[in-house]
Amino acid sequence: MSAKRKVTIGTIWLSGCSGCHMSFLDLDERLVELAQHADILFSPIMDIKFADMPEVDVGIVEGCVNNEDQEHELKKLRSKCKILIALGDCAVMGNVPAMRNQFKLQDCLQRAYVETESTVIGEVPEHPVVPKLLPKARPLQEVVKVDVSVPGCPPDADTIWYALTELLAGRTPKWDERNFKYD
Amino acid sequence: MTAPKKITVTIDGQQCEGTAGQTILDIASAHQIYIPTLCYLKHLSPWGGCRMCIVEVSGSNRLVPSCATPAADGSTVTTNSGRLQGLRKATLELLFSERNHVCPICPMNKGDCDLQNQAYRSGLDHIELPYLYPALPMDVSGRYFGIDHNRCILCTRCVRACEDMEGVHTLDVAYRGQRNLVIVDLNTTFGESTTCTSCGACVASCPTGALFDKSQAFRGKLNSCQTVKTTCTECPVGCGLLVFTKEDRIVEVFGDLESPVSHGHLCRKGRYETWAEPKPRLTQPLIKGQPATWEAALQYLRAAYAKAPHWQTGLLVSPRVTNETAAALVKLADKFERVGVRVAPNEAALCVQPERAEESLKRMENADAFILVGVDLPRHQGVLAAKVRTTVRKHGAKLLIFGCPPSDLDHYAAVTGHAVSLERAFWKKVSDLLLTVRHPVLLYGPEAMSPVGTTVLEKLIKAFELNQVGQPPVLVPVPTSTNSFGAVAAGLEPVEDVADWIADKPLTFLPILVGDEPDGGARWLRDRQVKSLLEQIECVVVQAAYRSPLTDLATVALPAPAWNEKAGTVTNFEGRELPVRPVLPARGRDEAQVWEELLA
Repeated sequence: MSAKRKVTIGTIWLSGCSGCHMSFLDLDERLVELAQHADILFSPIMDIKFADMPEVDVGIVEGCVNNEDQEHELKKLRSKCKILIALGDCAVMGNVPAMRNQFKLQDCLQRAYVETESTVIGEVPEHPVVPKLLPKARPLQEVVKVDVSVPGCPPDADTIWYALTELLAGRTPKWDERNFKYD
Repeated sequence: MTAPKKITVTIDGQQCEGTAGQTILDIASAHQIYIPTLCYLKHLSPWGGCRMCIVEVSGSNRLVPSCATPAADGSTVTTNSGRLQGLRKATLELLFSERNHVCPICPMNKGDCDLQNQAYRSGLDHIELPYLYPALPMDVSGRYFGIDHNRCILCTRCVRACEDMEGVHTLDVAYRGQRNLVIVDLNTTFGESTTCTSCGACVASCPTGALFDKSQAFRGKLNSCQTVKTTCTECPVGCGLLVFTKEDRIVEVFGDLESPVSHGHLCRKGRYETWAEPKPRLTQPLIKGQPATWEAALQYLRAAYAKAPHWQTGLLVSPRVTNETAAALVKLADKFERVGVRVAPNEAALCVQPERAEESLKRMENADAFILVGVDLPRHQGVLAAKVRTTVRKHGAKLLIFGCPPSDLDHYAAVTGHAVSLERAFWKKVSDLLLTVRHPVLLYGPEAMSPVGTTVLEKLIKAFELNQVGQPPVLVPVPTSTNSFGAVAAGLEPVEDVADWIADKPLTFLPILVGDEPDGGARWLRDRQVKSLLEQIECVVVQAAYRSPLTDLATVALPAPAWNEKAGTVTNFEGRELPVRPVLPARGRDEAQVWEELLA
């Protein structure tokens, strides 16, 4: 494998709690092994900035698509990567961030910024730098084509390792009741 | 009767034998061939609505639900082809996308949810279909359970449990298509329902977290709990309990499907009242209301017993004692002038009735007429009431009620005589009704032993004599107290009027074994004058699991084990000896052992 070019990976974090990235860090000593086969070019857990997103082989996404900025970022990653992995329940099925979908967006904002018990004078933030929320929070496959779904809230480090090693070996991960879960 | 015809079916290449009328699913599971199911539950009538159990049958391109399709002799069945797997996965996707299933925040997550387990099995790693995100309500107004429609898959297991097991049909499905919703009564809430009996059969049947017990939710995964099978001691029916525990607390109580008496059904008392209601536990001995050590309390009692003249000593026992405790107390009888077990009014005569109707719930299922005399089934023996209701509703059995308090059963009754009539026309109607019945069951309670009750029984027996076609009625005596049959059979003298019994002879030393009566014995004080009579006795000892006005009144109060801490047997209304097993470590001392120790 060493003769081959190293696989490049980039990860982004949309509407999620960062738990999936924590679970990724939970790979522990396996991160060293992963570094022998792959380079992580960008990720919220790395202190590195690019003027423009570089092209990668594998794009990993935590969280669902909740606002215009996230939609833009996801579409950009899709255009820059060969394989897109939806990591965790939020990315795969919306999960907790999508629970707002059964209510009107305006009602959610009103409840969160104005009617909260601890709020004295509240207002819904409306500034050009604050990304606009989409009418519905959506899982990734409703916005772009997803190649591999890794459910879990968060997925175990073992599950992530299984998905990555299968991909590195050129196979598609096969899920059954033994190696994945929704919680 | 001819034996049912044997048939052979080839399922997934395996030759499987069964009997005519058995469904494909029945035969497959008898041969350890797994077919996934969601809406199917063995003890409920099949519905065939979820389409998870679809199979291919040779010679037909149509897929059939195996839970509701009788197997045809000689047919060949395929249960797990690629086509079936794809369709099952699509069915699951439709279910997941239709409502708001958010596994990580659901109490049934991690193994207690059939929907989740099926999805894992199918390898459903994402949903292709767009989610609908309907705005659905939640109803948590019920005392013991709530419903979250977001997690409902409309399998109707709850609707069928409500109809098939409890027979009240509180739940049903309203609206059409995507707006389908399980509703309570005519679209009210559990809290406001006038028909729901809180038996909890719906919750126990729910495959997802849609129906959940408030006391169980988020307090422990059932599949990681320890389970103990024991017997409910709240009434003389003796239903089987399946108790789930974790770290020495109860997480859930379900009916034991293997119980020979109740076959998995419970009433509100066994299902919830014993554990989901907060009750003040008596954890330490009290001397004149002040906490004391066991040593001090026993010391006090030894002195008090030695001081009391033997002819002024007595012992009163609750009819909830186990047979073993009753036998141990009978052995101690010579240490007391008088020993008695408190029973309900008129129950003493019932305890010595010769009939013990074995397998009575089975026989009730096949009955075509029920005659109830002097019993209050919905209030005291909920599971028997459920059996009457379901049989009347399903098979149209006749129901005649005499001298029973008003209840929902009156809706189904052809005759209701609350105050018994002596009118000729009334009894003519009764004998006309009984003229053609073939398998009548007569359930009679303590009130049937009263003078009015015995008159009714005599008149009924005369009416049955005119019946030329059917069998004589199955006579089922139904006591009110949990183990009055066992306690009296062990040799304890039944006491119907506690006040009379106390006032009969002078008393200076009186232990009262209240045991685990849920109100801590408060009901003993409801009898006329008992309170003032007890206040005159020098030393009243109360052994109870829970604190109450009676334990407060006692000279010495001793903690007794609760229903889930005892070991032994109780005798149910059928005369069946049923095991009571400890579920949690004891927090009180066995009532009889205390006296064995003290009086040795």
